[in-house]
Amino acid sequence: MGGGGREITMLLEAVRDKNVMQLKKLNAVLFPVRYNDKYYADALASGEFTKLAYYNDICVGSVACRLERKENAICVYIMTLGVLAPYRGLGIGTKLVNHVLELSNKQTISEIYLHVQINNDEAIAFYKKFGFEITETIQNYYTNITPRDCYVLKKHLSSLTHLKK
Amino acid sequence: MTPPLPSKEANLFKVIVKSYETKQYKKGLKAADAILKKFPKHGETLSMKGLTLNCLNRKPEAYDLVVLGLKNDLKSHVCWHVYGLLYRSDRDYREAIKCYRNALRIDPDNIEILRDLSLLQAQMRDLTGFVETRQQLLTLKSNHRMNWIGFAVAQHLNSNCLKAVEILEAYEGTLEEDYPPDNERCEHGEMLLYKTSLLEECGLLERALEELQKKEPKIVDKLAFKEQQVSLLVKLGRLEEGEKIYRSLLFMNPGNYKYYFGLQKCLGLFSENGKYSHDESSKLDDLYKSLMEQLSWSSAAKRISLDFLEGEKFRESADSYVRPLLTKGVPSLFSDLSPLYDLPSKANILEELFLELENSIRTTGGFPQSQQKEPPSTLMWMLFLLSQHFDRRGQIEVALAKIDEAIAHTPTVIDLYSAKGRILKHAGDLPAAAALADEARSMDLADRYLNSECVKRMLQADQVAKGEKTVVLFTKDGDQHNNLHDMQCMWYELASGESYFRQGDLGRALKNFLAVEKHHTDMMEDQFDFHSYCLRKMTLRSYVEMLKFQDRLHSHSYFHKAAAGAIRCYLRLFDFPTKSDAGVDEEMSNLPPSQKKKLKQKQRKKEARAKKEAEVKNEEASNSTVVSKSGKKQPIKPVDADPNGEKLVQIENPLIEGTKYLKLLQKNSSKSIETHLLSFELNMRKQKTLLAFQAVKQMLSLDDNNPDSHRCLIKFFHQVSTFAPPVSDSDKLIQRVLEEERLTLSQLHEKSLVEANQSFLRKNIGSLMHRAAAAEMLYVLDSTKKIEALKLITDSTNNVVQINGALGPIKEWKLKDCITVHELLETVFNDSEASSSWKGRCAEYFPFSTHFGSPLSSATLHSVNYNICNASENGDTNSGEGSRVLQNFSELKI
Repeated sequence: MGGGGREITMLLEAVRDKNVMQLKKLNAVLFPVRYNDKYYADALASGEFTKLAYYNDICVGSVACRLERKENAICVYIMTLGVLAPYRGLGIGTKLVNHVLELSNKQTISEIYLHVQINNDEAIAFYKKFGFEITETIQNYYTNITPRDCYVLKKHLSSLTHLKK
Repeated sequence: MTPPLPSKEANLFKVIVKSYETKQYKKGLKAADAILKKFPKHGETLSMKGLTLNCLNRKPEAYDLVVLGLKNDLKSHVCWHVYGLLYRSDRDYREAIKCYRNALRIDPDNIEILRDLSLLQAQMRDLTGFVETRQQLLTLKSNHRMNWIGFAVAQHLNSNCLKAVEILEAYEGTLEEDYPPDNERCEHGEMLLYKTSLLEECGLLERALEELQKKEPKIVDKLAFKEQQVSLLVKLGRLEEGEKIYRSLLFMNPGNYKYYFGLQKCLGLFSENGKYSHDESSKLDDLYKSLMEQLSWSSAAKRISLDFLEGEKFRESADSYVRPLLTKGVPSLFSDLSPLYDLPSKANILEELFLELENSIRTTGGFPQSQQKEPPSTLMWMLFLLSQHFDRRGQIEVALAKIDEAIAHTPTVIDLYSAKGRILKHAGDLPAAAALADEARSMDLADRYLNSECVKRMLQADQVAKGEKTVVLFTKDGDQHNNLHDMQCMWYELASGESYFRQGDLGRALKNFLAVEKHHTDMMEDQFDFHSYCLRKMTLRSYVEMLKFQDRLHSHSYFHKAAAGAIRCYLRLFDFPTKSDAGVDEEMSNLPPSQKKKLKQKQRKKEARAKKEAEVKNEEASNSTVVSKSGKKQPIKPVDADPNGEKLVQIENPLIEGTKYLKLLQKNSSKSIETHLLSFELNMRKQKTLLAFQAVKQMLSLDDNNPDSHRCLIKFFHQVSTFAPPVSDSDKLIQRVLEEERLTLSQLHEKSLVEANQSFLRKNIGSLMHRAAAAEMLYVLDSTKKIEALKLITDSTNNVVQINGALGPIKEWKLKDCITVHELLETVFNDSEASSSWKGRCAEYFPFSTHFGSPLSSATLHSVNYNICNASENGDTNSGEGSRVLQNFSELKI
């Protein structure tokens, strides 16, 4: 206690068996979908690619990824990424995306992709900032929310950068 | 006298002793058998063989051999000593002391036996004996440091401080000038500190201070030196010097409240009850302001000011105290502030302050008069604080609204769920409280505190099986339940015991309560090793403190609860003796007598078989040893022959059992009304009239206006009046005593019991619990007055205690009291109409109570989950931020 310091700490931490409930709590309020056990198993299996974001020691956001094998290369699928409403606009989402990008660069990942509901302009604009591009539209991707279509957003990681490193 | 052994055997005997000391028991046995081959009746060898076998866990043989050895050689101090050691190993210290004394009669100067005896005397608090033995040891061997110290400590314990000081000084006289050597400086320093504390204890303050300062260079523990020095200075009235030292101590540790209060004392600004005049409190304000500047990193100085400041100044300080903590997010903030709520005026100020801060954060995003924008979490912490505030104020609905909003704001903060569970517990919805604690637990499975809190809530909600399953998540594998017993986890045993008691499973309840009692006995045992260890290590101040702690061990609230719980079980067993096998009885009553007999026989056989099985298991356990992984042999723990406490309820006379624990309570918690209430109940049943009367008098002297005191007083004289006229001399004597005593009781002075009851009622006309007691007594005294008595209860009004702010009035009645009244209507009055109308009325006052089946409790909502899900979803779907915004960055699943 004490001290007038107003330093705000922002940390990313791993998801484990013991705190997976935190991720579930976030998902319950962030997304209109109930995720199944496979989602959580994939998230735990992706290791460092799945993270909880802590703002002043409070868990306020998360990114959950799944690693996929695609023709001799590994790509990252971002299953969910979200931040609790009161804590948006503080750079936490950016920090989460950057974390995935940096980690992917280090680990020779060929591409990162994700799905966005086609009317979610904010999210689309957000990912475009990081160099994601819309590569296709999937019809009737969602079953119980409208609009039911989604875009696939993709970012290729140039293999050149890997060679340099 | 047995003739001495020939030299070969004499050497073998030495081998036995040596092997015993070095724990090479096998070798010792071999040697013993070799002697016994030639001299089968040699007493000392037989004894030593027994002692060795005892260490190999062959107890029955051990006792046989030791007794045989003694019979063969009654004049041998060895045999007596061995017998004493055997008793000691079984913790039968009284018998052991007797044996040692016999040994010493034969060999009065045997140092080893004297030392062993002194340890037992310290353990048993035979202080005069302890002094004697220690003196003898010192006389025999005065070149041993430990003997000097031991004698001094013995004198001290025997309340002879001065003598103890003299001994220590005599000991110092034997030391060289350059004492101590480097490796003994700590020990010597401790001895010096002990000596000055003795001087202080016997009031020789000047001398103590002089001595302390003279020896300063030789004292290693500088902090203890300073603390003792300042304590002496203050007692001597040398306050200026004291002030200086307290200030320097504060600089070393600005978190120690004792230093602050010490400093206040030196400045003449301290009052025990925390009340200060206006002048004093403004002086204190100045003092603490300057301390806050000097000790800017300490929160204690800031917090203490809140205790003495009043009015506007209090508000200002509270404001600047809570702001940074809300920004930072300190979950313990409310419990830090909670003592302030004892003063209603402060609680009101805090409420205004908190609401203003909340409003400001909501509207401007920052605190009032502050340019700085608060982080989003501040609102959540604010709501968290407010909900605990309103919980404390008894405004459950507001508290729940605040906590729900906080959960909706940030659903990942575990403390919010724990707090909501606590609020619901206070509101009387125990199943919902348990479910919330479980939710909190699920959010961090590595947190033992959350796990324990959840278990406690489950037990409070009588979900014992679930509680058991949850609690073992944190015990070591394999040994599940025993592990908790071995760890002396008493809160758990008490909570389970109480739950079993509520559910009427007296066996299991007793099992748990008695386990707690056993732990206290074990703790008394645990001090044994320290009698020698502390003297050797010279940690004398802590040693004496530990002994004093042990002397009042049984006054601990855990013990009190366990003993009271056990006594209640025994009372119930006495009142409903067949309760435990009521089912069987019922079954039997429907059968013809011949079959009844058969069934009974069958039952008896079954019991006998079970008993035998348990015994066999036990035997196996105590005879065998397992070799653990490390290769060490470990005795297996005996199997519990009665895991469900079935034997505990099948006792001849529950009242005698209860009396055992009552005696401990009377000795150790005589200041508790409950103790004497239990004594009253127990002794009335035992028809010990005078003891019951003594209990009544004790209750009256502790609190003569207490409803229970009143109940017992009236019940007692009412019962006595129904007794048959005394026949025997002793009965006549008792009656005379009571008649005379009755005259001395102001409550009954020149009054009938009915009048006494009326005057008690008049005196406490506004209090529910007093009215209930008066009503009950009215009915007990005259059962035709039932309607009048019931009216007394139903006419009670639930007044408003205080109206504060916009958030609604607070009513006077407590949930616990209303439940007690409800039970009274159900049991004593046995009036279903009155009790159900009471239930309906209370359901309105306590809308979350499961006991009253209140509209918002989980009992009414059918499912606990519904209640909770509803709450946590509330925020998310209705909070206006809605799911629209929540999709902000959302990418949905495949």
